[in-house]
Amino acid sequence: MARAVIDPVTRIEGHLRVEVEVDNGVVKDAWVSGGLYRGMETVLLDRQPTDAFYIAQRICGVCPISHGHASTMGSEAALGIKIPNNARIIRNIIEGAETLHSHILWFYTLTALDYVDVVSALSANIADTYALAASAGTSTADFGAIQKRLKGFVDNGQLSIFTNGYWGHPAMKLPPELNLIAVAHYLEALEMQAEAAQIIAVMGGKFPHFMTSLPGGTVWIPTEEKLDEIYFRWQNVRNWIANTMIPDTLAIAPFYLDAAGYGKGVGNHMAWGVFDDKSMDPLKRTLPRGMLMGGLDLTQPDPAKIKEYIDHSWYSSGDGLNPAQGETKAAFDAYSTDAKYSWVKAPRYDEKPMEVGPLSRMLVAYVSGNAGVKSLVDSTLAVLSKAAGTTLPATVLESLLGRVAARNLEAMYVADEMGKWIVELVGAVKGGDSSYFVEPAVDAGAGAGLWEAPRGALGHWVSVKGGKIDRYQVVTPSTWDCSPRDAKGVRGPMEEALVGAPIADVTKPLEALRIVHSFDP
Amino acid sequence: MAQEARAEFSELLAARGVSRRDFLKYCGSVAALLGMSEMYAPQIASAIESGSKLQPALWLAHGLCTGCTESMAQVNTPDVPTIVLDLLSVNYWETVMAAAGTQAEENIKATVDKGGFVLIVEGSVMEGFNGNALRIGGRPGVEELKEVAPKAAAIIAVGSCAVDGGWVAGNPNPAGATGVSAWAAKNNIKVPVINLPTCPVNPEWVVAILVDVLLAGELADGSILKKLDAQGRPSLIFGQTIHDNCPRRGHFENGEFVVYGAADQAEKEAKGWCLYQMGCKGPQTYTNCPLVRWNKAVNWCVESGSPCIGCGTADALKGGTGNWVDAGTPFLGRAANVRLPGVGGVQPSTIGAVVGGVAAAGLVVHGVASVAKGRVKGVPTETEKAYDMKKKGGDK
Repeated sequence: MARAVIDPVTRIEGHLRVEVEVDNGVVKDAWVSGGLYRGMETVLLDRQPTDAFYIAQRICGVCPISHGHASTMGSEAALGIKIPNNARIIRNIIEGAETLHSHILWFYTLTALDYVDVVSALSANIADTYALAASAGTSTADFGAIQKRLKGFVDNGQLSIFTNGYWGHPAMKLPPELNLIAVAHYLEALEMQAEAAQIIAVMGGKFPHFMTSLPGGTVWIPTEEKLDEIYFRWQNVRNWIANTMIPDTLAIAPFYLDAAGYGKGVGNHMAWGVFDDKSMDPLKRTLPRGMLMGGLDLTQPDPAKIKEYIDHSWYSSGDGLNPAQGETKAAFDAYSTDAKYSWVKAPRYDEKPMEVGPLSRMLVAYVSGNAGVKSLVDSTLAVLSKAAGTTLPATVLESLLGRVAARNLEAMYVADEMGKWIVELVGAVKGGDSSYFVEPAVDAGAGAGLWEAPRGALGHWVSVKGGKIDRYQVVTPSTWDCSPRDAKGVRGPMEEALVGAPIADVTKPLEALRIVHSFDP
Repeated sequence: MAQEARAEFSELLAARGVSRRDFLKYCGSVAALLGMSEMYAPQIASAIESGSKLQPALWLAHGLCTGCTESMAQVNTPDVPTIVLDLLSVNYWETVMAAAGTQAEENIKATVDKGGFVLIVEGSVMEGFNGNALRIGGRPGVEELKEVAPKAAAIIAVGSCAVDGGWVAGNPNPAGATGVSAWAAKNNIKVPVINLPTCPVNPEWVVAILVDVLLAGELADGSILKKLDAQGRPSLIFGQTIHDNCPRRGHFENGEFVVYGAADQAEKEAKGWCLYQMGCKGPQTYTNCPLVRWNKAVNWCVESGSPCIGCGTADALKGGTGNWVDAGTPFLGRAANVRLPGVGGVQPSTIGAVVGGVAAAGLVVHGVASVAKGRVKGVPTETEKAYDMKKKGGDK
């Protein structure tokens, strides 16, 4: 038995530590520790709901839109506000742009370096690289110039952000030519995530952190010129996902088919759903609300059945409370995997740990009969089945490989849906609807904004008295996925996903890093 | 400037596919960012060329949301690959670096041992729970900072959290957050700290400062570093208010205001009327946001239809201490304590009395006068606003 520790886990948002017990090259047990406590829920107390919109989004610099929206929706639920239709469409477009931004950034900037050997790209044959790009159906670049730039960089001996990476690790499987293609697209992806973020900037002032989705609707008013600025950027990003990101995913996956055999997790999935339609019914969201408990039988989550536990978290009170009555009283004593080891609480649904994220959303949508999602998933399974030489069922998605693929497929799905929302907004503006914002009629109440961040189900529970916040609780996607054990010792989803993973080199536990990254914490 | 060093640098650039013309163009854009004329481009070029090695840098992540790193990914000029491949050797940057865990920590040690690096800090310094509010590498995050900060050539605190604790230090500051400058002073660390507030930091400012650090001593007149204000901020960036440069300023002068929830809100917003009545903190926020803008200059906050929330203003309101959240909330309320240049802190409702309409003309009188003349219908006057806020428990 050997303990391997990854601390800090890099290429994530925030601070995370992972410990794994390895026996004979396989993970036998795992502990995931959240390393940072800031106290947002406490800072928001006694401030106004509009302030909460601006402040609460600063929980996460990668998904501030989702936090801003969940906060605003929580306040709107508390104060009984029904937002105008235009505001609904505008929020969908902003949220969609963040999803595209986040998924592109995640695949290329955050997780790709777990699978792509940058140094190996130096030995790629340029002609073969073009041939491979053509046969994989992915976009080309000036591969020769990129290789030359990379060579000059490596020869200089200062590797900057690539210093001490896992180059030459036995778990790196791609041929040099595919590594070079991926490096070229790694650089391109930086431009594309920025272009997606610019859609948010047009509609929200800037990104990260935006200004316009205040409780009551939106204070951004579209003009023809602004709609143009959104449309052409959306088209560029959408086409790049279709012509580069998806083909890259399908070209890389066959080299890592073993990743379909581990990294499953707890097998329970939950999605609050995201992107409202005209009815504003959460069950009718474009990516629908739903829950799967250890199989593919769809049920609906009841928020009242959520409880947060602190047996292994550094808090002193609030054990077993529903977030609507939740408390946050931090109390650090010591780090011990036998006792308390995380700043993350342990949320449970009906006493069970739940995985959240694109895999959960795709599975819920698939089972709900969403035609677009079904066709994307089925066509991907066909490609992978061909590579594997056997027919792979949808349940194979519950794995490291499936979690990675689900996120990229979701990017494609959301990109296509987004085009429809832009057209819908143009239609509404042309139709003369000039309502974007309503003031609340009351100054007290309680409610919850249950929504989705790119990385999973997100809830902001808001209680208002006399126009000021008197209780505020947030359960983020990473609270669910990075949860420590609960009172019964049941592991959280990421911990569970790590168990059973192969580790080729305990001093460089790259495979564990892949599983952690697959949750996009 | 040694000729061989220059030749070596040209080869380095050529090997990376960067032409001499591209390089000079890049230097010109750097000059513009530094607030200098493009005629300085050759001087900047020769200064950069004097070294063939990349400037080592460490980017440390403390009490953060990762928004400032995200903001860097949205930079306009130069692009991200240029920064991390051609300008600096960023040996540690948690969010983007290939290495993790032990391998990542080795990078810090190797860089600190060699010295001469630029340290960039993102996020608040977390002192709560004996520093355990943030744990990195199995120990309190402040321990990492104590080892690294004293050895740095210069420290750049990016974003309001690193400058003064930011929102994380918001009342009651539950995790004991503070800024890098205050923490360094307390720990007797003498390395100069350059403060770049706002939430997140504007990436264009970071690039300008990084280049200026590289050029320290070369450009006596143009150097941002030689023009830091009392709060350690570059005066070229933080010397004027948003209100000074706001494109909506004309509507302010005309007494033309957007009011949320009013029947004509959309119509007036489309015309770009002033957001002062919605609590805009532009008059007391010292940044050049309206000029540099955000996300490759696509937009900035006020242009989107929201008032400025003053995400970099704490010092202006609280004499150098505090954080923007405590200073600015309620964001949509009237500013509690507007500081006018040369006048000091005053209540908006008393500005007229205090300064006899000199500077006050810029702030309130127009709004009130406009209501009196019937040019603005339904906009509450200062007195009404103050009453409303008191009734609803508004300003602190």
